[in-house]
Amino acid sequence: MRRLLLMLLALLALCALALMRGQLALSPLQLWQGLSGAEGPAHLVLAVIRGPRVAAALGTGAALGLSGMLFQTLFRNPLAAPDLMGFTSGAGLAIVLAMTLGLGLPVPLVAALGGLIAAALVLLLAWKPGQALAPLVLVLVGLGVGFLTQAASSFLMTALPPEQAADAQRWLTGSLNARNWGHVALLAAGLAVLGLLALSQIRRLEALDLGEELAAGLGLHPGRARIAIAVTGVLLAALAVSVAGPLPFVALMAGPLGARLLGRTALAPRMAAAALTGAMIVVAADLLARATIPGLSLPAGVVTGLLGAPYLLWRLSREMKKGEL
Amino acid sequence: MLETRDLTLGYDRRPVLERLSLQIPEGRVTAILGPNGCGKSTLLKALARLSAPQAGAVLLAGEPLGQYDSRALARRLAILPQSPVAPEGITVRDLVRRGRIPWRGLLGPWRDSDEAACREALAAVALEDLATRPLAALSGGQRQRAWIALVLAQTPRHLLLDEPTTFLDLVHQIEVLRLLQRLNRDRGLTVVSVLHDLSLAARFSDHLILLGPDGLVAEGAPSAVLTPDTLHAAFGLSALVHPDPVSGTPMVIPC
Repeated sequence: MRRLLLMLLALLALCALALMRGQLALSPLQLWQGLSGAEGPAHLVLAVIRGPRVAAALGTGAALGLSGMLFQTLFRNPLAAPDLMGFTSGAGLAIVLAMTLGLGLPVPLVAALGGLIAAALVLLLAWKPGQALAPLVLVLVGLGVGFLTQAASSFLMTALPPEQAADAQRWLTGSLNARNWGHVALLAAGLAVLGLLALSQIRRLEALDLGEELAAGLGLHPGRARIAIAVTGVLLAALAVSVAGPLPFVALMAGPLGARLLGRTALAPRMAAAALTGAMIVVAADLLARATIPGLSLPAGVVTGLLGAPYLLWRLSREMKKGEL
Repeated sequence: MLETRDLTLGYDRRPVLERLSLQIPEGRVTAILGPNGCGKSTLLKALARLSAPQAGAVLLAGEPLGQYDSRALARRLAILPQSPVAPEGITVRDLVRRGRIPWRGLLGPWRDSDEAACREALAAVALEDLATRPLAALSGGQRQRAWIALVLAQTPRHLLLDEPTTFLDLVHQIEVLRLLQRLNRDRGLTVVSVLHDLSLAARFSDHLILLGPDGLVAEGAPSAVLTPDTLHAAFGLSALVHPDPVSGTPMVIPC
């Protein structure tokens, strides 16, 4: 509990920093005045630009962290994250496709459909009848599906007018630029529902953790339980993608990093830790993306990519040493 | 009462056991015996609804298992599989707490009754003092007792165990079998386990089910089930059967 509290405090401090830094730097006093509603430039910056942006980063990160943790626990493999398994790029492709076709469908719905279709495709390709799913096969097939959907997205973008294509490109990298309170409201509502759904998967994960047979003996339908967990995970990832694009590697890193910071193994606190860590990663990545190089604002996805790729390599080498690959 | 009616079990279309009608005596200790591959585990799994029958049914209190809601069934009947998976780093207490899953539902809080059931389960297997230890730090016999505590925390009336003594040395085998017998005597728990050691099974069970390559060979009291004839039919083994000098139960001496 104490560590979770510390993580929460760290996240709040990070958010405060993210609210203060930017093209117009605010002092802590100005931040306080702006937050407490005093009129002025600080209030405007916070209410219109940085407030929704940081809140959106917070929500996206939490959703991605939860999603990654669900999949990693379900498949007992730190590599089983929705971004590596191609689900986020599936959601991304669906959104680009809807853009190209000019469909006026709500973005979260399109993202959810895309994510679910990608997940079904990965499952179908990785599954051999009568055999348990091998997590590594799942990850490799997922990488393949991910490449395929990314290629399809790139192809579709050539059909878009240049301006829209540039938008789509920035968006596909994963960016929190120009998010508004509408995005935040969507995230809050989505997280309220899906967060509760994720919490209700803890009991299922705890049972599945003991092996298929004991789980069934504890009153579970292992197959149905897996599907419920996976659908929750895909929807959480799709929610994040519909707001900030497929930010790479956040879902992959948040779970194991959160567990390390927490130092405990019970699933409920680990879930909270994954959400907090995911939020920290995205808030920090967005802050670095827009405030490290003066006058240049990168998409947050570039930073999570730069952080995540070395992490993935380190993780791969570790798994290889353990003989899991 | 747990019973099978014309039960046929098997993989693909190859039946392993055919038209088996058995009654598991209520409130007694039953052991399922037989050579490898004769369907002992398959039968035990079918008794817990872990595998679906090809034909016939398993009945609990007169109702086919298929009719039970799975959580309701898990509150009445618990099964410990042969090799359950230990979550990394889990403590004994956290392991035992998972036995309450069928009572809690997906978002149910941890109630006093859950705490009481876990405390009692840990006491029954004499692991209260080791509750905060990681499971991995325990000895083989203690670990098996921790797993038994998990299924006891389900507070079932029927407890099924698949080879609970495999991988244990003789002392720990006897310790586990004594524990199961005590749970039966003290709490009236119906215990069914798949066992390998015939003499130990005879000594610690009230009822034996002996399976052979062609299905059921014999069932009943140990002294009626373990005879040179049935052992030959089940295992193709020539053996003498003598009363155990301590308990008087049949002891198998291969010759």
